[in-house]
Amino acid sequence: MLAILAIGGTWLFVRYRQPSVALGPQRTVQTINPKLGIHTRLTDEVEPWKIKRSLEMVREMGAPWIVEYFPWAYVEAKPGRFDWTHSDLVIDHANRQGLTVIARLGFVPEWARPKETSPLYLDEAHFEDFGQYAAAFATRYAGKVNYMILGNEPNLSLEWGYQPVDPSKYVALLRVVYPLVKAVDPTMQILAGALAPTLAPPGDAAGINDLVYLQSMYDLGAAAYFDILAIHAYGWYSEPDEPADPDVVNFRRAELLRAMMVANGDEEKTAMITEGGWNDHPRWTRAVRPGQRIAYTLRAYEVARQEWPWVTAVCFWAFRFPWDAKSYQDYFTFVDTEFEPKPIYQEVQRYTQGDIEDTSSQSVP
Amino acid sequence: MTKRKWLLVALVLFGVTLLLTLERERIFPAQDRSWQTIQERGVWRVGLDPSFPPFESLDANGNPIGYDVDLAQEIAAAWGVQAEIVTIGFDSLLDALQAGQIDSVVSALPYDQRLTKDVAYSMPYFEAGIRLVVRTDSTLSSVEQLTNQKVAVEWGSMGDMIGRRLQREQAALQLAPYSTPQEAVEALINDQTIDALLVDQVTVRTAQGNGAPIQAVGPALESNPYVIAMPHAAVTLQEKVASTLRTLQETGVMTKIESQWFDHSK
Repeated sequence: MLAILAIGGTWLFVRYRQPSVALGPQRTVQTINPKLGIHTRLTDEVEPWKIKRSLEMVREMGAPWIVEYFPWAYVEAKPGRFDWTHSDLVIDHANRQGLTVIARLGFVPEWARPKETSPLYLDEAHFEDFGQYAAAFATRYAGKVNYMILGNEPNLSLEWGYQPVDPSKYVALLRVVYPLVKAVDPTMQILAGALAPTLAPPGDAAGINDLVYLQSMYDLGAAAYFDILAIHAYGWYSEPDEPADPDVVNFRRAELLRAMMVANGDEEKTAMITEGGWNDHPRWTRAVRPGQRIAYTLRAYEVARQEWPWVTAVCFWAFRFPWDAKSYQDYFTFVDTEFEPKPIYQEVQRYTQGDIEDTSSQSVP
Repeated sequence: MTKRKWLLVALVLFGVTLLLTLERERIFPAQDRSWQTIQERGVWRVGLDPSFPPFESLDANGNPIGYDVDLAQEIAAAWGVQAEIVTIGFDSLLDALQAGQIDSVVSALPYDQRLTKDVAYSMPYFEAGIRLVVRTDSTLSSVEQLTNQKVAVEWGSMGDMIGRRLQREQAALQLAPYSTPQEAVEALINDQTIDALLVDQVTVRTAQGNGAPIQAVGPALESNPYVIAMPHAAVTLQEKVASTLRTLQETGVMTKIESQWFDHSK
């Protein structure tokens, strides 16, 4: 019987253990655009070699920045018991590839929210707990991660755990978390906002217009509790040189948010685009043709490089998913689930290596 | 009983419990009344997103028309019921199916192996994948012959991605990118320096239907079959759809529907 158990145990160990993957030599990113970045999606990627391969390909594309999600519920499934295994893997490999990590924190564990609520539901009673997680994260990755986004699209009810959207609560969250993180790592740069671009009319239960929400944040004193504004800059079906307009969601809507920073005395701060880009799904109403997506993306990276000194990173959504979503979301990616590069990946790579000099043309090369 | 026998009994019980747990649905299939309900109400509720002509769109009066509408009506007629078309956004179709708002999805829906745990699929009724396309007078018949050939693609499309893959893997072919699939088709027809085209079958059939002298050769290079989706538990409905699709193919009705929506030049 013992022999059977030993054989079974050995089989299970061999079958299910994750082989470690060597970090490899220290790399650096070669690029003509030091602001170029991408939002990776390694949260649910369990295989270490796939994490490493994703980050290698980001470097090879010429992107020095990544945004990655570090869900609180995954790291602290039980109060005070942290499991950093997956986070260590992502951050160590990213650093070794020469990438700068912008860590997005969120996703509330069950113990920190009422039953039957969404993992995006965070009430004031647990702001301190979230702050302790953020502080623990900052402590563990001091010197490895210097940028941290607090929350995601809090101006949407969906992203606010289906609660009524309320800027005052988000600002209260910043007010609690910011000092906790700064106390353990004063150099950590806190990003706030990451607002969803939306034209939601007043009273819309789904959300609040991002311009209205940001002004409310300033009115409530948020400026003292973040260092960099995180911006989501989606182009939908508009080209990247379409002028900014409060009544339009387009790439240059970011300029309206910037103007609001300046108007509120926050011009010394910079901004980072932590989501954005274009989609080329054949049937989604907010999509463009694949060639337009390439041309618009290259032009947008160049707009940020040449015209927007107040933007320090442009991280478009999304590099690769661990598995196909089988929806329009798949048409945001740069690499398919099997790591085959899409044409947009190769064109961005040509751009970062200086092989595309003129990005103003929005037609085929 | 000895200790060894107790252990054996425990192991057998554990195995049986495990088997019953894992294979519960197969051993004790849930009672499904989908087929009876369709018969009783005389209506087959079909979900589609009318934004993808010629498979589905709205006419001037707002009525759904297209290949899939005709297909649904032919299937329903074979069963002696009416097809009720329910228009739903593409990304919500399977949710609506699982919520019981519709009986089936007939909406140029690509087969997805990963979703077979959530829904049941019919046999494919249209292969929409990427094809190698040549002029009708061309002697090219496979990707193996593309070395040193000039191949048109829509820039950034799946055809472009496959062309770049072929460049990496084997052929010293030259890609000629165009802004739209229609421009790539025009280039193949009118520019004699273009030898072939990599494009989806819907574009090929649309162009052929408008009289373009082109043909697809070889199998799909990236398969994308359209299928009908149904609830897992609707076993009888699945059988009826399968047998009716076979009948419609054998009797030439599928060919007639395809011709109706693609062959405009005839």
